[in-house]
Amino acid sequence: MKALWVAKTGLDAQQSRLANVSNNLANVNTNGFKRSRAVFEDLVYQNIRQAGGQQSQDNEIPSGLYLGTGSRVVATEKTFTQGSLIQTGNAFDVAIQGRGFFQIVLPDGSEAYTRDGAFRLNSDGELVTASGYTLQPPINIPSNALSATVGADGTVSVQLPGQAAPVQVGLIQTTDFVNPGGLEPRGENLFLETGASGPALTGTPGIDGLGPLIQGMVEGSNVNTVEELVNMIETQRAFELNSRSIRTADEMLQFMTNNI
Amino acid sequence: MDHMLYTAMTGISRVMEAQTQNANNIANANTTGFKAELMRSGAFPVDGPGFPTRVATINEGSGADLAPGAAIATGNPLDVTIQGEGWFVVQVPGGGEALSRRGDFEIDANGVLRNGAGMPLMGETGPVAIPPYETVTFGVDGTISIVPIGQDPDAPAVLDRLLLVRPDDPAQLQRGADGLFRLPNDEIPPPAADIRLLTGHLEASNVNLAQTMVEMISLQRQFEMQVRMLRMASDNADSSAMLLSSGR
Repeated sequence: MKALWVAKTGLDAQQSRLANVSNNLANVNTNGFKRSRAVFEDLVYQNIRQAGGQQSQDNEIPSGLYLGTGSRVVATEKTFTQGSLIQTGNAFDVAIQGRGFFQIVLPDGSEAYTRDGAFRLNSDGELVTASGYTLQPPINIPSNALSATVGADGTVSVQLPGQAAPVQVGLIQTTDFVNPGGLEPRGENLFLETGASGPALTGTPGIDGLGPLIQGMVEGSNVNTVEELVNMIETQRAFELNSRSIRTADEMLQFMTNNI
Repeated sequence: MDHMLYTAMTGISRVMEAQTQNANNIANANTTGFKAELMRSGAFPVDGPGFPTRVATINEGSGADLAPGAAIATGNPLDVTIQGEGWFVVQVPGGGEALSRRGDFEIDANGVLRNGAGMPLMGETGPVAIPPYETVTFGVDGTISIVPIGQDPDAPAVLDRLLLVRPDDPAQLQRGADGLFRLPNDEIPPPAADIRLLTGHLEASNVNLAQTMVEMISLQRQFEMQVRMLRMASDNADSSAMLLSSGR
């Protein structure tokens, strides 16, 4: 009874989708989080009767018999729409308005990318993420700085005691990808470059399509809770129907064993 | 033994195949652009001397319900739905082209426009390739325009038009083993200028869950009836064996 296995693929797919919806909802308050969507695909079809085959010498079979074998989740695709900007007033909270990612150096020296601009200072005065990874290129804030300003183009300047003019201490650069959807989510709000994302294109915020920076704001998650709840209901009902398919197939087999 | 047994058996295997097809429809209730499978069955009389009472059934083929699915608003500019009849043309791995209704597009690292199943989309002048862009817009008639990186939004560049086609006779369309649709001889119809797109929306699967549910129950009951026929054939054979043996 193939229906049992076909319905099983449906259950698997719906379960993956629910896991995806739950992950989106769990991250509704994660800074810089991008929601993902489960992409469904039908599995291969079994060709039982070939369309266009010869029925007799002069007759063709007009339409074939193809039995589908179910569905699967082929990808979870991140949607890189802008998250809502939340005002915090913190000088080191920086949001990107538009395209681009902050570059982060991981402890092993490789690079990762994030939209989470809630930076803090470490003991060396460097700007780091909430997990302690340093921003690239590194920005050092002198310990005696009175205030720090991040400009829309990424210029970081500080006001030092006894000096009238602010001093520029660094430049925050952002990075863009041809296909951000191809980035690999790594956790800790970080993304890694992959073959599908294309190479990292680093530049100045506000120029060449990179979004400008806004100080004193963080980018929230772009999860739409209502949409996720609707997805959840849809997933649940589809799951129930697939399990109903399994039960029906089971009942049919049971009926046959009891009655023959 | 009486051939009633075999006639009922063809009914059972038909119902089992139809149930598989129904389960496949339910399993694909969330597949973007999926078209529900329809089962066609036919009577297959067994000719011979005497009264034709033994008519077997066979599955003659599977069609597709080509009705459009509901448009689901996603807000993603790369999600496109065809309004009414019409098809996108995609390149199939290993060469050739086929028709699809999947409009969940993405742009890969080389700028190639692909659908959610990873197949490149065809434009009127060949596969669509999109250079680095700030924003990309699909017009209602399939025109693709972008604002290139570093350019002003007031000077969008028009790239190409998505190849949108409509076969003269949709009944000719056949689903292949890869789930894509083709005309006989893999022919691609000429572009149709009047097909309209809706961007920011995805076409849902057109599987009607209530209908498949009823279908499932109805198939189950048909199955039970066929099994009862098997039982009856067996009972009849028992009775006749008994009558014959008692008459001795």
